Amino acid sequence: MRPVADPVVTGTGVALPGARCAADLLALTYGSARPVPEPWPSRDRDTRFKDRATRLALMAGEAALTAAGLLDAGGPTVPGEEVGVIVSSNLGTLDTVCRVTETLDRDGPAALRVVNLPNACSNATASSVAIRFALHGINLTLCNGATSGLDALGWAALALATARARRLLVIGVEPAGPAARHCAGASGTLDGAAALVLESADAAAGRGRATLTGYARRTNADAAIAAAAAAAGPAGRATGCGLWLPPQEGAIGVGAVCHPDTPEDRAARAARAPRPGFDPGRRDRDTEGDSHHPDGIGYATVCDLGRALPPASGAFGVLQCVAATAWITAGTPAGVPPTALAVAGGGRADDAAAALLLSAAHHAGAPDEGEE
Amino acid sequence: MNDAVTGWPIAGTGAVSSVGATTAEVFTALCAGRGAPRPVRAFDTARLRTRHAYEITDPPQQPAAWLCRAVAEALAQAGMPDDLCDVPVLVGTALRDLRGAERDWTEGRSAPPDPHFGRILRDRFGACDTHTFAGACSASLYALALAADLLAAGRADTVVVAGVDTITASMYALLDRAQPGAPREVRPFDRDSGGQLLGDGAAAVVLRRPGTAPARAVLHSVGLYCDAGHVTAPSADGLAAAQRQAHDRAGITARDVGLVLAQGTGSPHNDRAEAQALARVFGPEGDGPLIAAVEGMTGHTSGCSGLLNTVLAVECLRHGRTPPVVGLRDPIEAAAGLRFSTGGRVEPTYAQVNSFGFGGVNAVAVLGRAA
Repeated sequence: MRPVADPVVTGTGVALPGARCAADLLALTYGSARPVPEPWPSRDRDTRFKDRATRLALMAGEAALTAAGLLDAGGPTVPGEEVGVIVSSNLGTLDTVCRVTETLDRDGPAALRVVNLPNACSNATASSVAIRFALHGINLTLCNGATSGLDALGWAALALATARARRLLVIGVEPAGPAARHCAGASGTLDGAAALVLESADAAAGRGRATLTGYARRTNADAAIAAAAAAAGPAGRATGCGLWLPPQEGAIGVGAVCHPDTPEDRAARAARAPRPGFDPGRRDRDTEGDSHHPDGIGYATVCDLGRALPPASGAFGVLQCVAATAWITAGTPAGVPPTALAVAGGGRADDAAAALLLSAAHHAGAPDEGEE
Repeated sequence: MNDAVTGWPIAGTGAVSSVGATTAEVFTALCAGRGAPRPVRAFDTARLRTRHAYEITDPPQQPAAWLCRAVAEALAQAGMPDDLCDVPVLVGTALRDLRGAERDWTEGRSAPPDPHFGRILRDRFGACDTHTFAGACSASLYALALAADLLAAGRADTVVVAGVDTITASMYALLDRAQPGAPREVRPFDRDSGGQLLGDGAAAVVLRRPGTAPARAVLHSVGLYCDAGHVTAPSADGLAAAQRQAHDRAGITARDVGLVLAQGTGSPHNDRAEAQALARVFGPEGDGPLIAAVEGMTGHTSGCSGLLNTVLAVECLRHGRTPPVVGLRDPIEAAAGLRFSTGGRVEPTYAQVNSFGFGGVNAVAVLGRAA
């Protein structure tokens, strides 16, 4: 197959208490969330019948499309046929489904509102985003547990590589409605969204802020990191990543509330994480053949969103990539590579782990030699 | 990208629905015109106008179990072991196991819902590259498209695609409020149709790289399109665009299609739009492909329906038979020029599967006989 240049992130957006923009994610510390303006998320005439997840997704999506230059005051700047939508959310429809069932039991069918019909289906958010911004490309909703956000980015990259779309709006969202809060218990749950626009290098025409170089989903974090690095080809063989974005523990919607990770799980995971203390000299050791192994990866700095945010479930991976893009865009000190490694899942209650690699956009365009 | 040079071999299929628990059982029952709705057992419908559905009763309300059964059947047909540790599994569903979440919520349990099928597939088949696409009613055909893309991109040699859905009380009750009638039966493309009835179902196919396995049929293409128009109502333009895209990607013309497994939910809006789109793509002269629609016998199996029809298309291509359109007596005006199946022999070279969902999320597949 003809090598396809890696896709690039051209815009990001967030709808999150405590973060006005992607760069704020890097500075977040737990409990620092600023007071939320009421009502949150915002509601207007166009969104009065939309569920909470959809309203959050529209906020983040609009910001990302605008930042990418695909949307301005006059509307879309590119044909809607070129743009697809991928939404990652594990709990998005839960409130509608539970509330409708409860109303039916308590008050009978006459109390139901027909406007909730589309919201009772898992794709309500993705289709509403497409309708709002007139996006006719592929329209996917991924509900894939703790890895769902990174998986959504992986599918976006595949859709661009196979020319299913030229541009994709990827949104990770989890709403803290009554049913989600009830299930989450004391650990709480995210009430926000993050979005980014991923475009083929060709479509981005120099607007790229970061390049998605590799993604994989495997049985554990080690295997996922190794497979993502292998998929990234030469770019993934660099022995260090500048930014390490570790998985979040105890995200709800994946059974982790019932089966919290044990201290042993956490210790094992910490042992598997890349080592701190990035050493640029390690690049010289490429010839030793250990460069694919995650143990061979050091990092310069860490962005632990999992500690900074409530359990973010399906939104987590997209939040990680939005933060990583902001970090890469801001520029890195001399000797620190402008690369980021994000991992999600891999906990005892998860079915798998996913890993994703981002690098500075000027690395784009290198033929992928790792693939035939 | 042209995914049509030789097509992707379908090495095995699996199906579970209210009419049977294997591909052969389901296909035989549907060709015989068997399959009818029954009073709903899963939840109380006493206060609703609608009371019927097409439920799987063994076991009831267990989409994960039906999914595993369909996948196991597809693997056995393909001559593969029950081990998917290196095989991507793509699951399309509209309502996941949200019926389980409804039960937990109304009974006051605070168990976190399992939002996807990754863990059950890991436990049963060792799968670790599972992806649950919770789309609209076209979810499983979207999954089929992505599976073909994985093969085309050289990312996998084998992909398992599955569809599964169960009936939620919330969706059933909201449809009861929204539909014009209170149907006791499903009558696709019929003037007197009162609307759709939901059904349980699961389906699976094993898709492989050419030359790696004997094929039961081949997948030539899947076209995807999003109307981005209305949250529930489909548009004939969007349905036609998805069909034309599928033909283009398969490298065929509309005249090459000999059989269409239509969505045909029995919902008057949907059926009119689909009939208009079929007439637009194949011409209104009555010489177009044979049109089959099985939801009169299976109910509308939501996100599973596209892949269930894909499995049926494989069987039609293999056996030269097609199920009749049960429930159709007097076609709607838009369907006047369409040729509907009454059961019996058909020898298509290419068969098409239509799948259309809420939000105008459309998918159309083109399959062909194995070489």
